[in-house]
Amino acid sequence: MSAPVHVRSRPSPKAAPPPSGRAGGGGWSGRLSRWDIRFSPYLFISPYFLLFALFGLFPMGYTLWVAMHDWELIGSREFTGLENFRLVLTDPQFWNSVYNTAGMFVVATVPQLVMALLLANALNRRMRGQTLLRMGVLAPMVTSIAAVAIVFSQLFSRDFGLVNWVLGWFGVEGLDWAAQRWSAWLAISVMVDWRWTGYNALIYLAAMQSIPRDLYEAAAIDGASRRRQFWTITLPMLRPTIIFTAIISTIGGFQLFTEPLLFGNGDMAGGSLRQFQTVTMYMFENAFTRFDYGYASAVSWLLFLLILLGSLLNFLWLRRVGGGRA
Amino acid sequence: MRRPHPRAPRRFRTISSLVTAAALALGAAACGGGGSESSNGTITLTVDTFSTFGYEELFARYEADHPGIKIKHRNVVQLDEYLPRLERWIAAGRGAGDVVALEEGILTKFMAQPDRFVNLLDHGAGSMQGGFLDWKWKQALTRDGKHLVGLGTDVGGLAMCYRTDLFAKAGLPTDREKVGALWRTWDDYIATGRRYTGKVKDAKFVDGAVNLYNSILAQQASQTVGHTYFDTGDKLVAGTNPAVRSAWDTTVKMQQAGLSAGLKSFEPSWGTGLKEARFATIACPSWMLGVIKENAGAQAAGKWDVAAIPGGAGSRGGSFLAVPKQSAHPKEAAELAKFLTGPDSQITAFKARNNLPSSPKALGDPAVTSFRNEYFSDAPVGEIYAGGAKALRPLYLGADNNPVGQRFEDALLALEQGKLAPDAAWRKALADAEREAR
Amino acid sequence: MIITGPRGRRRGGTVAALWGAGPLTRIMLAATIVLSMFPIYWMFVVATRTNDVVGSVPPPVVPGGELGGNLARLFGDEQARFTLGLVNSAIAASTVTVSTLLFASLAGFAFAKLRFRGRNAALLVMLATMMVPVQMGIIPLYMLMAEIGWTGRLQAVIVPFLVTGFGVFMMRQYTLQALPDELIEAARIDGCSTPRIYWSVVLPVLRPAMAVLGLFTFMQTWNEFIWPLAVLDPDNPTVQYSLNLLNGAYYTDYSLMFTGTAVATLPLLAIFLLFGRQLIGGIMDGALKA
Repeated sequence: MSAPVHVRSRPSPKAAPPPSGRAGGGGWSGRLSRWDIRFSPYLFISPYFLLFALFGLFPMGYTLWVAMHDWELIGSREFTGLENFRLVLTDPQFWNSVYNTAGMFVVATVPQLVMALLLANALNRRMRGQTLLRMGVLAPMVTSIAAVAIVFSQLFSRDFGLVNWVLGWFGVEGLDWAAQRWSAWLAISVMVDWRWTGYNALIYLAAMQSIPRDLYEAAAIDGASRRRQFWTITLPMLRPTIIFTAIISTIGGFQLFTEPLLFGNGDMAGGSLRQFQTVTMYMFENAFTRFDYGYASAVSWLLFLLILLGSLLNFLWLRRVGGGRA
Repeated sequence: MRRPHPRAPRRFRTISSLVTAAALALGAAACGGGGSESSNGTITLTVDTFSTFGYEELFARYEADHPGIKIKHRNVVQLDEYLPRLERWIAAGRGAGDVVALEEGILTKFMAQPDRFVNLLDHGAGSMQGGFLDWKWKQALTRDGKHLVGLGTDVGGLAMCYRTDLFAKAGLPTDREKVGALWRTWDDYIATGRRYTGKVKDAKFVDGAVNLYNSILAQQASQTVGHTYFDTGDKLVAGTNPAVRSAWDTTVKMQQAGLSAGLKSFEPSWGTGLKEARFATIACPSWMLGVIKENAGAQAAGKWDVAAIPGGAGSRGGSFLAVPKQSAHPKEAAELAKFLTGPDSQITAFKARNNLPSSPKALGDPAVTSFRNEYFSDAPVGEIYAGGAKALRPLYLGADNNPVGQRFEDALLALEQGKLAPDAAWRKALADAEREAR
Repeated sequence: MIITGPRGRRRGGTVAALWGAGPLTRIMLAATIVLSMFPIYWMFVVATRTNDVVGSVPPPVVPGGELGGNLARLFGDEQARFTLGLVNSAIAASTVTVSTLLFASLAGFAFAKLRFRGRNAALLVMLATMMVPVQMGIIPLYMLMAEIGWTGRLQAVIVPFLVTGFGVFMMRQYTLQALPDELIEAARIDGCSTPRIYWSVVLPVLRPAMAVLGLFTFMQTWNEFIWPLAVLDPDNPTVQYSLNLLNGAYYTDYSLMFTGTAVATLPLLAIFLLFGRQLIGGIMDGALKA
């Protein structure tokens, strides 16, 4: 996952009034000043757009071009139009990876956001050592995915894993976490949630602290319990924030790659029956194991469209909810 | 397969020069990449290998004898990681070492594009032909006999490794001759496993289906039809090749008898299983001895032994050295490859890592035949492996041998995980193989 | 709506009842901290023991005395090239961080406070780019790198990431909120050029947000896994790649691998301990939420 960004649309303050060219009356310094005002903005944004064009836009376009070919790393390159897209869309292995990605997204994200909410609610209480607590819940974010995956894969290993050792107390013996779809999804989701729950909790916490306390005090006077306050005040006020975290999780979730890859010891196929192969893994399998770049590029474009679709749905939902509030 | 790698489209080049310009403008200084820049007349040769080739001593000796040459060794342990990287280097036309190791499964893929490698016949390798097993030599020679892509390093002669302490516990003989006599055939092997399983509960008989299957397949295929999933015309024949079916059936029978520890070879849990003595036998090609020793560790020294494999001689794995066309020093690289694959060097590598020589001369050398491996109860591994090696017959692996093999491994794994019944697993393996070969 | 923590300092029974933490809350928080910390702790436990730690039952939960030996093996491992990995990652992460801060603040300032033709269109394009999945570009980007001969070289993991849409967007939002137009106006009246305004007026104001963006960028570059693995070679790895080289062995040495992960995590943990307060402050202030 890339760092999730919490995006909140906010009525932007008025942009600066037009620079009032008073400094430039004429002559050389005046011309310089006019040029400055005219071209500086472009100069300032150009590094970003230049880099993006080279390393963002060009690769995207090129992927589309490659996707329309039978393009092997070694061997033939033949224009085939939309054939790759047709093949991908009728490929059960592709849809299996979509199913896995969506499934793990749900299994990972729903509990993650619920836990983050509860955690934020708890952190919102007054107590000693607040900063320390907040740092504590944020610490997992510092560890790299590779480190997380190495540690958790050992924790979840069949014969000598700590998790199975604990489960042994309850009579569950030698669970092979990678073998079942549900258990593999669960183990991978635990890795994802461990790393990101604290971060989302802090974002919720920030939003919670912006809720006017009078609301709670008034409710308390009316005799509403804390739980009731949470449901009737906190949750509704947090709705836009929750939706935004959901969107960010969608983008991150659809790109899920490193955790399942390392969980399966680097197996691009994601388990014996591809029970935890994500779309990104499928794309990599086609590119770097089968060396079928055309096919892999088609998969990557379809992934992009899926993310776009998911984000669009979220956005529409947000507009509706957000509109109701403002 | 078909045309060689065409030149990149012009647009690509324009953009790349733009990128370069931008990067220079941004002051991103180039760091020294892996290369063979010669300064003060010294040539650096990069050698790419995987797993363990046992070349350390040979490199030192070669550098001492050739003052103008420095050797840079890059090793990737996992073959699965090495292969795609090498393929990218070869396709991209840069990045590969001056000498690269090609496992036989990779070699077959590259035999389709011999012009990406230096023809070693142009560098006087022709005189070395007698130094190799005939089929090993031919494996790396194009069909017209004009282009030699690689020189053989080792072959993967087969044996069966077993733990004497667990065998004693099961009341089975522990002497390697008697153990070998227990299992002349694979059915005997399974029967022995049944006897063992009746006595020992805390460790299984076999490490797992995958390693056993691959070993039986290599053995059966070389003894019969001479090819595995693909025939020599590169047509997928996995469903009709009796060797594939036989290896599959034996493996399934073993698994259904409850003999398998269910571990997939080379995964971390397999290594831990070796260390914790979770199984009593493992089919071991010669190159596997070093792997077992490293994983099982010092506490298992003297507890492993080596016996003959059921079903007769066979070879699994084995590698070649090649010089990519992209090398800046093809002549020097070819000389190094010739040195490393010569009979004497093969003996040195065998002593270091038990990589079984592919040279008849080395195979017959007393240094090899009399070699005993202390870690494996002082077993005469030289005799055990070298004895069968000359009887080995060639085995053809198709270009897509690796991906198809992986699908069969996946199906076996699913069987072991209880996710598929034997019949369903077989059908799935075949269907997925079709997909890979498409 | 400006988000700041309402630090209601009122005293009294109602407030305590409303905002005090009950036992259940405390238990839940304690459990969360334990779960958050345990894997990191476990990493250090295994790093201080021999490989025997893996098979033993019950698993040891206190550190052992093998750290020195494990470190020696880690830095002596010829395949993993851990020292080089650390140095490479430090170079890459620092370069990317400095350049991201520079370019993102420049562009963010322009988008927030300067008027120019096509501003809204450019902004929209930039926002759209944030939706593009990172992995999507990897294949063509790899082909590009191969074409210009950058595969295996450190600049391949630096140059494409010198600035991100996320960084620009974050800087724009923060500039909008934190930089009063009057400041710019006043500077203009004093005859300051735009670069001068950026340097003397904008940069100082942006400092808190830049601290957060810098920390984030450094962490992300340090932890980047897929791209280095695709484009670099084993003889010139980043630290995460080195970890993978340790992991990829036929022989699985958990204590070695965990020592590697611990060493790879330590610099970030140190930075986190030093600047965690600012990072949390940044997240809470809405710098990251914009």
